Amino acid sequence: MSDQPLVIIDALKIDVRLTRAKRLPIVDTATFDVKRGEIIGLIGESGSGKTMLCRSLVGTLHRRGAYIASGKLVFDGIDLVAAKGAQWSDIRGKQIGYVPQSALAGPNPVMLIGAQLEEAILQDKNFPKSKVKERAIELLNIVQIRRPEVVMHQYQHELSGGMKQRVMIACAIAQQPQLIVADEPTTGLDVTVQAEIMRLLLSIRAEFNTSIILVSHDLPLVNQICDDIVVMHAGTTVEKIPSKDITHAKHPYTRALYDSRIDLVEPKGKLTTINGQPPTVGSWPLGCRFSERCDFVRDECRVPQTMPIISLGPDHFTSCIRYTELDK
Amino acid sequence: MNILEATDVSVTFESYGQQIKAVDHVNFELPRGQTIGIVGESGSGKSTFARVLAGLQLPTNGSVSYLDKPIQSGKQTYRGALRKEVQMVFQDPYGSLNPRMKIVRAVAEAIAQHQALNKKESIEAALELLRSMGISGDDAYKYPRSLSGGQRQRASVARALSAQPSVLIADEPTSAIDQSAQSQLLGLFNNLINDGLSIVLVSHDLSVIRYLSDYVYVMKDGVFVESGKTEAIFDDPKEEYTQKLIASIPGRIL
Ligand SMILES: Nc1ncnc2c1ncn2[C@@H]1O[C@H](COP(=O)(O)OP(=O)(O)OP(=O)(O)O)[C@@H](O)[C@H]1O
Ligand SMILES: Nc1ncnc2c1ncn2[C@@H]1O[C@H](COP(=O)(O)OP(=O)(O)OP(=O)(O)O)[C@@H](O)[C@H]1O
Ligand SMILES: [Mg+2]
Ligand SMILES: [Mg+2]
Repeated sequence: MSDQPLVIIDALKIDVRLTRAKRLPIVDTATFDVKRGEIIGLIGESGSGKTMLCRSLVGTLHRRGAYIASGKLVFDGIDLVAAKGAQWSDIRGKQIGYVPQSALAGPNPVMLIGAQLEEAILQDKNFPKSKVKERAIELLNIVQIRRPEVVMHQYQHELSGGMKQRVMIACAIAQQPQLIVADEPTTGLDVTVQAEIMRLLLSIRAEFNTSIILVSHDLPLVNQICDDIVVMHAGTTVEKIPSKDITHAKHPYTRALYDSRIDLVEPKGKLTTINGQPPTVGSWPLGCRFSERCDFVRDECRVPQTMPIISLGPDHFTSCIRYTELDK
Repeated sequence: MNILEATDVSVTFESYGQQIKAVDHVNFELPRGQTIGIVGESGSGKSTFARVLAGLQLPTNGSVSYLDKPIQSGKQTYRGALRKEVQMVFQDPYGSLNPRMKIVRAVAEAIAQHQALNKKESIEAALELLRSMGISGDDAYKYPRSLSGGQRQRASVARALSAQPSVLIADEPTSAIDQSAQSQLLGLFNNLINDGLSIVLVSHDLSVIRYLSDYVYVMKDGVFVESGKTEAIFDDPKEEYTQKLIASIPGRIL
């Protein structure tokens, strides 16, 4: 049991219902595993389906009009594709903690921060009521909120962006879940706090062997703390690679993404962007969806086909059929 | 000449019986055509100060002037023709977009309001502006809730730019988009700067600040603890806090 990966995502397809008859594929398809105690960085194009993938793990796709159309999604031996309402309330928040991307939009606008923490803490029905306040303050201290006693009595509009985000992280870790899905938890946090949050995630992992899926656009950060990196482009996972090997990425999109980082550019200098426009959901090119923007493209990349998953090692795969030629 | 200037500005909030001095007697100058970066730890008052500059939060003390004239008269700010000149991109893009309006319409309406274009022309201009940020025609016809975080963020930048303002106050405008889209957006800002746009850029991303800003202010506990030319701040920070900030930039990868 325990050498099974904690999460198995296999050929997962997520559709949005546009009208009664019309469906739009948003994720098509995603494949990767998360081992126990592993930190996965999920990076890639804005609009490529990272948030939808996260939502599938906490059973909130329906709130965006989406659902799992096919494929496999397994958490700790539980088939999440088939999971029903009652089962979710045992998983979401308790076994899988979630920091939503909209953390900036904030926690619940009409609930005091203290009440929200209380709700997160009392998901554990056996938690002694008399200890709730103490635990709430403890959680706020863990995420390094200053003046926790005051913040408990504030509403979200009274908090700065970074404070809201930290409150969301505090809620997500309240139950010491086995998996934390954190969708851009540190955007808008200053680097020093960012480093602290990362240290916090690392210490939770060290203590409880928690697995973490960290969605981020901050490539240096992802590189620093993640074991493996999964790269998404146009609804699909194009590469999974150990972060130590990132300089030898085997998918042209991964390389192009890293090459367009602005910390490589002199102030006011010439910026690097990926050629052309990102493909739109639903009108992806047939064959390789990066083919229209790729420097290595050949005719065989454009042949209508499901791109393969080419294994290059235990934790490394690419879907580029020309990966051997990238370094030539 | 300074296009925007803040003199002795303070903002104090009251919450749960405590006084929170979000901004504490600060001075600030934005010379015309320049980009000023504001950095600083979470909760230090950056967004509050940015809202004061944009006229969306009245200071409890001090004043802001636009081209040497106070922006505030009575409880109002940026009256009449001045209204379009200073636009703000909010840290939370969700809150600034009308959830019931397709983003192309939201942008087109703002364009029609400020530029002499008919409906069809303003839609075309909106699509063009969105495309220049990497938002396709299909995505432009979505409601905010059907967009990804990064698409939404760019939509709110587009909405602010559609007024063709003289000053853009941008609170974390690139935090939620991928590297390539970020470069695309910064390229667009560069073009606008060449056309005379002045920018106040609040960001935690020090590489973005370094790339775009001429001058940087460092905020801590509601005050500017240090300010200077961008190179000076990055290469030779004087304050301990700034040194800590610069030192914790995650290292380069490649
Ligand atoms: N209800 C919907 N109708 C149509 N398209 C939708 C809908 N919901 C989401 N999408 C599209 O699905 C795609 C995936 O969105 P998602 O939020 O997962 O992207 P993401 O990878 O998290 O991007 P970001 O990095 O910008 O947050 C986007 O292109 C978005 O426009
Ligand atoms: N409406 C309000 N009522 C009470 N306190 C507020 C209000 N708005 C902001 N504050 C407080 O003012 C301080 C500064 O907040 P501000 O949002 O300006 O910080 P910031 O520098 O933008 O932080 P971040 O980097 O996290 O976005 C914080 O302590 C916050 O709690
Ligand atoms: Mg997202
Ligand atoms: Mg802020």
